[in-house]
Amino acid sequence: MNAIEIRNLHKNFGEKRAVDGLDMTVPEGAIYGFIGENGSGKSTTEKLICGLIQPSGGEIKLFGKEHTDMEARGRIGVLIEAPGCFPNMTVWNNMKLQAANLGIKNEDEEIRRVLHLVRMDGAANNKFKNCSLGMRQRIGIAFALLGNPKLLILDEPINGLDADGMRIMREILVDLTQNHGCTALISSHILGELEKIATHYGIIRGGKMLKEMTAEELAADCPTYIYLKAAYTDRAFAACRQAFARAEFDEEKGEIRIYDKTSAEEAASRLYNDFGIAVTELGTAKISLEEYYIDLMKEGE
Amino acid sequence: MENERLLQFEKPSFFTRLKGMLGVDFYRLFHTPLFYIFIAIAAFIPALVLMGGAQGENAMYTNAWQIIAADSPLYVVRNMGEYANMNMVFIFGGIMVSIFIGHDYQSGYVKQLFTTHAKKQDYMLSKTLLGAFSMLCMCVTYMIGGMISGAAAGLSFKVNVGSLLCAILGKMIMSIGWASLYTFINVIFRRKFGISIALCFVLGTGIPVIGAAALVGNSAALNIFLYGSSVYACLSANFISVLVCLACSVVWAAIYNILGTIVLYRRDVY
Repeated sequence: MNAIEIRNLHKNFGEKRAVDGLDMTVPEGAIYGFIGENGSGKSTTEKLICGLIQPSGGEIKLFGKEHTDMEARGRIGVLIEAPGCFPNMTVWNNMKLQAANLGIKNEDEEIRRVLHLVRMDGAANNKFKNCSLGMRQRIGIAFALLGNPKLLILDEPINGLDADGMRIMREILVDLTQNHGCTALISSHILGELEKIATHYGIIRGGKMLKEMTAEELAADCPTYIYLKAAYTDRAFAACRQAFARAEFDEEKGEIRIYDKTSAEEAASRLYNDFGIAVTELGTAKISLEEYYIDLMKEGE
Repeated sequence: MENERLLQFEKPSFFTRLKGMLGVDFYRLFHTPLFYIFIAIAAFIPALVLMGGAQGENAMYTNAWQIIAADSPLYVVRNMGEYANMNMVFIFGGIMVSIFIGHDYQSGYVKQLFTTHAKKQDYMLSKTLLGAFSMLCMCVTYMIGGMISGAAAGLSFKVNVGSLLCAILGKMIMSIGWASLYTFINVIFRRKFGISIALCFVLGTGIPVIGAAALVGNSAALNIFLYGSSVYACLSANFISVLVCLACSVVWAAIYNILGTIVLYRRDVY
């Protein structure tokens, strides 16, 4: 079963089409990285899924039920933009209110559990207005985790988190999805972090889904390459073209990339032996999600 | 099929949902200084009004209970004494409800709330009951303040007790109708609660009904409005007056709750 299934979703704000015929499938148990430029429609889509805004058209299903279905909605944990907390109340009291709204019975125990998960045990008695950006973000995640949700919708959850916060976030999400049957939809601009955990990706542009793929499909689309630098880039580039006639090349800021299955050492020795080119820097790397995303965006322009 | 069996979602009943939401709202109410400030203001209003003109030939009041309700249901206001009574609680109640609900939107609490299984009609009802309770408390403190001020001003306390009780009860019942109106206004203007405050103030003062009374005269037909029925609960009130207040308050509360629910369903929440 799919946790989220969206077909032909539209949302207009006056004349502006924020979401324009979006299709999206998030399988159960996935960590779905939702990627797109600013204003591409990510947050709007997430708000539509959560029922915070009304669609202009299309269909949203959560676990096979209408997204407005009360039972399904009761199992969603959400962090959109910032947690909705009363600034003059303590973190603990704010969480008690949300726990009551969720109908959690053993609320104190549950609040302690989620605050411990995000390592915010010590901040329970702080007034929300006195919490730093990073603390607020962690509290927002704790809010979303209240009541063991089956679906997490997190909008930029790692913004403002320190390195430790990001690591905790990764651990929580992997644990929830792998061991507790939870599904997570995460939008983020920090693609390096997303790449570490996402099992599925959706790339949105102009309110339309540009591409949906699994992490395996992304890996297949992101080949390994050899990168090298030499004293005379132009000569080295020409030599590479001759030496690896069937391969594809790239050159940027003096770094030559050869998309070929040859090992880096073999490439260097071929360039030196056959063309007298001494390589000054050598290695292999993989196209990152960020690079893949940027290329995809450029293609669409 | 197996997955469907595993995903057993709970379906909280209406009362469970309402209980949870009321619990949250009342917790917030009792933990906000705003509530205590407003019930204190309500207690001081009679004293402030009396300071304006309790003594002399042009005294606003001749009897302490006139601070609570006018002698007769007069929609055409002839002097301040006929106007300034417990109805003023509804003006301040409107301001309080507007600030309270405006804060829901400003803090993002509604965003958090409506991503749960909370229903829009529960929100309307919970806020109506909360607003009504607040105004009820304000009515009580106003009454205590009025009695103390009246005694301090040396006014007479002679009254038909039955009529007085009917008047007080009638006005308290009107809290529900007023609270639903204010909640409705606030779900329309949401974060722009300055507009809500202004509108609640205008409607709470009864200016539209007083204006209508200036045109149609002292007509009992004005009792179909919240302000009209609030005025109808006066020192000559009887059991019928209470029933009129009850009918008016409940009908308007139902109308505003339905309208508010429709607005919440049709418009983007946040």
